[in-house]
Amino acid sequence: MSATATTLRARRRPPREAAGSPLLLGHGRLPRVLAGTALVVLAVVWLVPFVWAVVTSLQSEEDINTTGLSPFKGAFTLDAYQQILERGNVTVWAFNSFLISALVTLITVAVSTLAAYGFSRGTFRGRKALLGVTVAAIMVPPQLLVVPLFDQMTLFNLVDTYAAVILPQVVAPMMVFILKRFFDAIPRELEEAARIDGASEFRVFRSIVLPLSRPIVAAVAIFVFIGAWNNFMWPFIVTNDPDLMTLPVGLATVKDAYGIQYAQSMASALLAALPLIVVFLLFQRRIVNSVATTGLGGS
Amino acid sequence: MSSRLPAQGAPAVSAPVRRPSRRRLLRNAVAGAGALLAGGPLLSGCASPASASGASDLSVWDLFQGGDGMLMDEMIEAVSNGAGGAEGFDVDRTILDWGPSYYTKLAMSAAGGRASDVAAMHLSRLAGYAPGGLVDAFDLDLLAEYGVTDKDFTPAVWSRTQHEGTVYAIPLDVHPFIVFYDKKAADRAGLLDTSGELAPMGSPEALLEAGRALAEATGEAGILFGHVTDTAQNWRLFAGLYAQTGASFDLPDGGPPKIDVDAAVRVVTLMTRLFDGKTNPNNLDYNGALAAFSSGRGGMAMLGEWELPTLKKSGMELGAAPFPQVFEKPAVYTDSHSFVLPHQDSPDPARRREAHRYVAQILKQSLTWAGAGHIPAYQPVLAEPEYAALDPQSSYADAAKVAVLDPPNWFAGAGSNFQNRMCQPLQSALLGNTTPEKAVRQMVREADTLLRQPNPVA
Amino acid sequence: MTTTAPLGAEEQTGSPAAEADVRRRTALGRIRTGNGLVFVLPFLLVFGLFMVWPIVQGLWMSFTDSSLALRDTSFVGFDNYTEAFGDPDVWSSLGNTVFFTVVSSVPLVLVALAMALLVHSGLAGQWAWRLSFFAPYLLPVTVVTMIWTWLYQPELGMANQLLDALGMAPVGWLSDEAVAMWSVAALTVWWTVGFNFLLYLAALQSLPTTFDEAAALDGAGAWRRLWSITLPQLRRTTGLVAMLQILASLKVFDQIYILTKGGPNGSTRPVLEYVYDVGFTGYRLGYASAVSYLFFALIVLVSLVQLRLFRRED
Repeated sequence: MSATATTLRARRRPPREAAGSPLLLGHGRLPRVLAGTALVVLAVVWLVPFVWAVVTSLQSEEDINTTGLSPFKGAFTLDAYQQILERGNVTVWAFNSFLISALVTLITVAVSTLAAYGFSRGTFRGRKALLGVTVAAIMVPPQLLVVPLFDQMTLFNLVDTYAAVILPQVVAPMMVFILKRFFDAIPRELEEAARIDGASEFRVFRSIVLPLSRPIVAAVAIFVFIGAWNNFMWPFIVTNDPDLMTLPVGLATVKDAYGIQYAQSMASALLAALPLIVVFLLFQRRIVNSVATTGLGGS
Repeated sequence: MSSRLPAQGAPAVSAPVRRPSRRRLLRNAVAGAGALLAGGPLLSGCASPASASGASDLSVWDLFQGGDGMLMDEMIEAVSNGAGGAEGFDVDRTILDWGPSYYTKLAMSAAGGRASDVAAMHLSRLAGYAPGGLVDAFDLDLLAEYGVTDKDFTPAVWSRTQHEGTVYAIPLDVHPFIVFYDKKAADRAGLLDTSGELAPMGSPEALLEAGRALAEATGEAGILFGHVTDTAQNWRLFAGLYAQTGASFDLPDGGPPKIDVDAAVRVVTLMTRLFDGKTNPNNLDYNGALAAFSSGRGGMAMLGEWELPTLKKSGMELGAAPFPQVFEKPAVYTDSHSFVLPHQDSPDPARRREAHRYVAQILKQSLTWAGAGHIPAYQPVLAEPEYAALDPQSSYADAAKVAVLDPPNWFAGAGSNFQNRMCQPLQSALLGNTTPEKAVRQMVREADTLLRQPNPVA
Repeated sequence: MTTTAPLGAEEQTGSPAAEADVRRRTALGRIRTGNGLVFVLPFLLVFGLFMVWPIVQGLWMSFTDSSLALRDTSFVGFDNYTEAFGDPDVWSSLGNTVFFTVVSSVPLVLVALAMALLVHSGLAGQWAWRLSFFAPYLLPVTVVTMIWTWLYQPELGMANQLLDALGMAPVGWLSDEAVAMWSVAALTVWWTVGFNFLLYLAALQSLPTTFDEAAALDGAGAWRRLWSITLPQLRRTTGLVAMLQILASLKVFDQIYILTKGGPNGSTRPVLEYVYDVGFTGYRLGYASAVSYLFFALIVLVSLVQLRLFRRED
């Protein structure tokens, strides 16, 4: 049993159990060998496309255009990366992707936590009906609305602006629902003391409920960020100016004068992929734990 | 789903250490609010820095990649640096993928009201843009000031730049569907005239005979044509030959299409007889045919002139000619890369002026463009001795005079679904899966289906 | 829902000054928060603007000849719906969407489950497994399609070179009508399985271990315990993962649009791409809205069926 696995489970199980025998596999040698082999095979299959891409990006276009299974066809070179960074498009798109994803995340989290709190603690009339409508809206995929949304953005004269990319993405009924269920489960006693002390409802929310909800807010923020980061269809539809495009849209839409260059396209792909993978590498355990709090993975 | 208590042991009271991150949050929020309130591109200033030199910013869209793309780069650089002593430009060029994706983005950017200043467009697509207000009209007086008038273009091409008498496009080139041939093979096959150029054919039989003679001369295939899974080639070949019969191909809104079925069947029959799979292969795809011709496995290839730079690299003695006339009338299937002014909600007059000047300046660079094989639409360039010296470009320059484009309709033109749909039955006929009669009936049906859609630009 | 204490409850404090201060704050609190509606207002604003409005507007547009071109719009009644019902491309794209949903969802659930069980079994190198399975999910769609276009490239791509090395004929991964959708599904499994894997992993980590321990003490083997304890415990998670996955797969557009543009010959075109094709490429926003609403009907139907299945399992 690895140390990592132990710490992973330590939060849910008493440490002595986790340190003991691996429950799922039992004591036999065979299951462990089989499981290990399966795991290695799967991981290799999952990593090969990455490796192939890395190797391609490190070659010259001429070397790539000779056939042969070995990816190692010629000398390694960083030319492709250099050319891409010089052109600067990818940097602009990466900046846009970060800015847009960050703003979407910020606004969505703010709006959704407030709404979830209102739905959880509020007493206003029509609360149940509004909540019902919100839950029903989980079923409406935003992709279905691209046509009227584009029409709306034309009406507001917002096509080709950051606002047009960001605003429709901040509506997240699913996140409101997840947060509300979490807030519902927080014992009221904690808040009562503050209310008796004269704290305003907003203060109760900010200094008691929010701090207790940090893991779930983090999980929601992660979901929203990845969602916005990977969103293609809407930004693709509403941006035509290359300076406003996000990474996936820019890479898919804008070409260069030279035509298809495999090393360069792999290099830009990898440059684009790098930031989020590093983030995941640093925070993966927290991310897994956060996901557990959403109840999405719960049993 | 079960709701669970926060199991992570979060502290019950918020710790003071969190303040810095809250401040960062605030700063981002301010930046975000700024971005939203401004409602505008944060970056539009940074990407193309305002030029201190006084040269005007222009955003330009096109779909030229590969050889074309690099030549366009050269031309843009020339006008940017003030070719001919004129003031330069600061051009922000955007290249999008050829085909439907380009034309969709172009229409959407125009509908959104913040389109680029100038964009390239196939003339055959204009009927989908001008009537719907997606492109703005050119000011001919302004163009004349910069030395470009209607007299600088052939009537066959100029007539297609207009909608209801207003000019919406200025042609850069004419790019016909032509024949390339291996001069040595054609000579052995006895197809050349005394000046060493391809002799006229004049009848379908002569074309079939030429195929046989070339096959004999090369010992392999006679005439090569790639069409399998291609969404334009069959239509290009068909439309050119069909125009030679003198019949008209009209697509009136609401249908039915006015197509001379007999003439169409004659054309498709000739196509199937020509590409019979013995003398001339009938199952090649575009790249296959191109590769076969480059490597000398055929005496002639039916291709767009834009393949010239590729073919020149093959090292063969390359000849080129307008698509041979085999029916009653001379006609060559053609399209034309032209410039349009995508619709802007509130165009800046000074910028519009510069857009006109830019188009005029680029036209004057079109000798460079001819390097890619295209026939410059701007006639003064054709008169220059440098153009006459271009071989084999100058040998098919006459194609511009008998240019035939797609029927003007909102759904037709280069890279359109219409061309794709016309190609499917033609492909089946060439592969022997259907008869010419059935293929033509299918084409009529497809055209009718498209015409029965309500016209969204009228 | 449990009742909450009245917002801004009465205070009992000593000094009059403090009392006034508290009252002022409370009044402010009351104005700002009232019965909680204020908290919901920002959400209601964006929800109304960017969800309700387009839903209503889209429905209206589906009864008009609204066009991308700049011209007046007129009401056309049910014309768009009549046309859509008779449009073979609507049906083939809906068919493609359903086909993709089936061939992608099944492996996306099963492979994710297998991955989670294997990783959870406690073999060394947890972070490495998690990273390899989840990392692709973090890639922007264009990056994924770039990598896979390269793998599927007919002559130089890895897939065909591998076949060649094994002495097999090359496959037209993206050009063969019978193969293309499977290629898209394979890419999608590689790309998005990480999310489901994470959900399963989170679920496994929160399972109570008592039954498992008891069974282990009773001498039940690993395989037996997997089938009769762990998997049944994961039933709800599987239902949830499957539901989210089916909804996600029905919405497929991005990777197909970039990879094949719906080709060859429309064989991979999902309904959302058809909406894009007729609405934006073909300018016909009104007709595209009608097609969207037909698709919406399908989604509602699928969701209702799932909900019923879900309820019955409870």
